[in-house]
Amino acid sequence: MAPLPPCDGEPRVSPLPEPLRREIEDFLYLEARLADESRYEEWEALVADDMQYWVPRGRADYDPADRLSYINDNRARLATRIRQLKTGLRHAQTPPSPMRRMVSNIEILAVDHEAGVYTVGSNFVLYELAVQAGAALRVWPGRVTHRLRRVEGRLRMSRKVVELVTAEAPQWNMAFLI
Amino acid sequence: MTGRYAALVREDRVHGSLYTDPRIFVEEMDRIFRRGWVFLGHESEIAAPGDWVVRPIGLESVILVRDREGRIQVLANRCAHRGNRLCWKERGHDSRFQCIYHGWTFGLDGSLRAVSHKAGFDRDRADMPLDRAGQVGSHRGFIFANMSGDAGPLADHLGVGGRDLIERLCDLSPTGNIHFGAGWIGHRIESNWKMWPESDSDGYHLDFVHASMLRAVPDNYYDETVIGGESKNVSRAIDHGGGVSELDLRPSYRRELAWLGTTRDKIASYCAALEARHGKERADRLLWDGPPHGFIFPNLFLGEGNVARVDPVDVGTVLHVHTALQLEGVDQVLNRRLVRQSEAGLGPASFIVPDDAIIAERMQIGFQGLQPPLNGGDNGPGWIDLSRGRARESRADDGTRVGHVSDETTNRAFWRHYRHVMESRA
Ligand code: FES
Ligand SMILES: [Fe+2]
Repeated sequence: MAPLPPCDGEPRVSPLPEPLRREIEDFLYLEARLADESRYEEWEALVADDMQYWVPRGRADYDPADRLSYINDNRARLATRIRQLKTGLRHAQTPPSPMRRMVSNIEILAVDHEAGVYTVGSNFVLYELAVQAGAALRVWPGRVTHRLRRVEGRLRMSRKVVELVTAEAPQWNMAFLI
Repeated sequence: MTGRYAALVREDRVHGSLYTDPRIFVEEMDRIFRRGWVFLGHESEIAAPGDWVVRPIGLESVILVRDREGRIQVLANRCAHRGNRLCWKERGHDSRFQCIYHGWTFGLDGSLRAVSHKAGFDRDRADMPLDRAGQVGSHRGFIFANMSGDAGPLADHLGVGGRDLIERLCDLSPTGNIHFGAGWIGHRIESNWKMWPESDSDGYHLDFVHASMLRAVPDNYYDETVIGGESKNVSRAIDHGGGVSELDLRPSYRRELAWLGTTRDKIASYCAALEARHGKERADRLLWDGPPHGFIFPNLFLGEGNVARVDPVDVGTVLHVHTALQLEGVDQVLNRRLVRQSEAGLGPASFIVPDDAIIAERMQIGFQGLQPPLNGGDNGPGWIDLSRGRARESRADDGTRVGHVSDETTNRAFWRHYRHVMESRA
């Protein structure tokens, strides 16, 4: 597992052309909205074949092969996750939680123009109404590092790492797409 | 108060107020979690002198530490001076504990070593160690403790059934040792803690609660072991006595290594190492049987490839905290497979337990506002039926009861012991 690119100090990436930066931001907002609205198929269509979807326990500073994470999905397991949600019998998301997340502080962390690969950091705050049982409003703050790759002309996610602010603490049910 | 719990916990039913009455919760924290044995962790987590981890015993925070002599100490995480919390991280390695309020330092054995500005201190340091667990014990590396010190021998608490469950798990390692190096994942649930000894050992709910997992993961082994028709599977629900229960899936496995989802040729070196330790016959048996599925009162779940604690928070909140089985002396590829399996099964984003959690939370809502029945009667609302399979349950000479995997034998096992503890420690 390669470590995450540096996200501290001065930006190390020279500014991207405005249309490309715009395209990346639009991708992040679309991905967030599809997840918020539990539009599983459309969200999955944004995923590349080599996807890794990782929600570490604590900071993303360990090798998830050897230690437990909340989520450490390769493409096949992510497909299973979505298949389970789509059965309509996933009680932990029946009905799906109403959710909205704010995405901000978007920074381009690394660029490989030749390969069409962009690593992007952003912050989020997700508000979830856990309607399946007590209807509590739960707040999930954190930071996402996306690795985006151009596949047949369009951006796709090949990695999404979600570092929760609360990642060291026990978590409520997290059966939605975070 | 004698007889109060006997009125709420009958052989075939229990009253819903047991999950919601805050006074009952307070009594449980004393009678079960302070005066009885509680599972805390594993020796591999504090392998070297100075290694420590922080754990709960009921509502108290304790430090589990390996002292200079290599002994396991379970110390109150509370300074003996004015009570400041000593360790506020999850784990660490130190040669002593220093309180940052007034700088008192304590040895790894809990003794008070130094007091700052000592001229004004006129007590004897020897009289002021950290509070500590009254009894600490371990079995095959599993560490248990109790604060009161009058809980009797650990071996009696575990019983033959509990020791056997732990041994069957550890024997899967070619060295006989397992470790907890994969770390812990905590799952927070808005339910009473007692729903977890019940849910974790309930063989009756899989095809309903876990229908989505069964459809999304078609090549699971639950069809042959727990569902697939009441008459078709021959798995057993067992009450070993003393609050130890088991879902014995072994008779239903149709092939070896079903529990690991692999075949012998893919893990040949592991199979060879197991055979070298145990001999061919026992190794073959272990590869077929896999890890056990059982619950040891009050808070230890051995969930096939997982080990979990049930940590109560308050009457309506619990933490279900688990780690993955990790075998010593095997290729890391095998341990990594166990980590992946554990992520699929347990934890807040897994494919299985979040659905159990929702059921527990919905039950908790359903029990709100229930009052214990008046005069110990068994009329009135809010009773929970646990009668399933009583008639077909068999009872061995040693008291072990065995039913069909879908029977409420395991629930009755928990509650029978609960009633005994709550009444006898009144
Ligand atoms: S409270 Fe710890 S030194 Fe005073
Ligand atoms: Fe379950």
